[in-house]
Amino acid sequence: MADLKILAVDDSPTMRRIIVNTLKRAGFEDVMEASDGKDALAKMKVEKFNFVITDWNMPEMDGLTFVTTLRTIDEYKKLPVLMVTTRSVKDDIVEALKAGVNNYIVKPFTPETLKEKIEQVLAG
Amino acid sequence: MPNPDALHKKIQEEVSLLADSINDIVKKFRELNNPIDESKEQVPIATEQLDKISEQTEAATQRMLDKVEKIVEREEEGIAGLKRIKDYAAKNHWDEIAPLVDSLIEKADTTCADALSIMDALQFQDITAQQMNHAAALMEDIETKLKRISGVLQGDMSQIVSQEEEEAKKDRAYDPHADLFDKKTDQSAIDDMFAGKQ
Repeated sequence: MADLKILAVDDSPTMRRIIVNTLKRAGFEDVMEASDGKDALAKMKVEKFNFVITDWNMPEMDGLTFVTTLRTIDEYKKLPVLMVTTRSVKDDIVEALKAGVNNYIVKPFTPETLKEKIEQVLAG
Repeated sequence: MPNPDALHKKIQEEVSLLADSINDIVKKFRELNNPIDESKEQVPIATEQLDKISEQTEAATQRMLDKVEKIVEREEEGIAGLKRIKDYAAKNHWDEIAPLVDSLIEKADTTCADALSIMDALQFQDITAQQMNHAAALMEDIETKLKRISGVLQGDMSQIVSQEEEEAKKDRAYDPHADLFDKKTDQSAIDDMFAGKQ
């Protein structure tokens, strides 16, 4: 956990704050924030992250486009991505799976679920 | 005495103009019908979203208030407990202090957990914001259609929203099915879908 650098991508400042706080309480101290996919890609050019948590519905660049874009870049082909979104329709989840998301949580989430899914992705 | 042929020709021209006008009116009414039908469908969806926002905000607020009331109650008990500790210490009743401290630690732990659960409950803000964005997008679409109707009726094409204006509208990101309580797929089913991915 100590060497894990997480990028939390969500357009809602409230959600980002909740996610960052939950991560820190779970022992993931090194967390940065981005407000959408475009902002995330810009931050990823400057900083190196080894885990991404992303929302789906965001302006500028949504989470699905962001993940699809990530998977076209060699460096990020295997980067663990956890999607945390309100989208709970099965077809959407299948679409996220096809885009290359490693795991998926529907909001609202519990701190336990977030921690468990991160650990599952890291273990995989 | 007017020339019958000229009169006949004039009548033909007038009738033709009248027919063109009627055709034009019919065409305009057809153009109007589609946005009216579409708007009729969107208004109930927008209303439903606004009702949902109201209900879910109320439910989330009640949940948080329940926790806050418990925290305040526990804090008051904590303050009373600390005062008792002070009294016991002044009277050198040390044996009575230890269990009281344990009980205060337990209360503080519960308060901390309640405060964190309030923070988790605040996720409702993201969900209702998406519901509001959905309702606003529907309203904007209805506004565009009404402008189109008004433009056609008044023959004022400047009121008709252009494609460029349409695209320049605020980029609203929302999930039309966002719901605080109703998850269409539960987490265990999602886990099954991703099981092969791990």
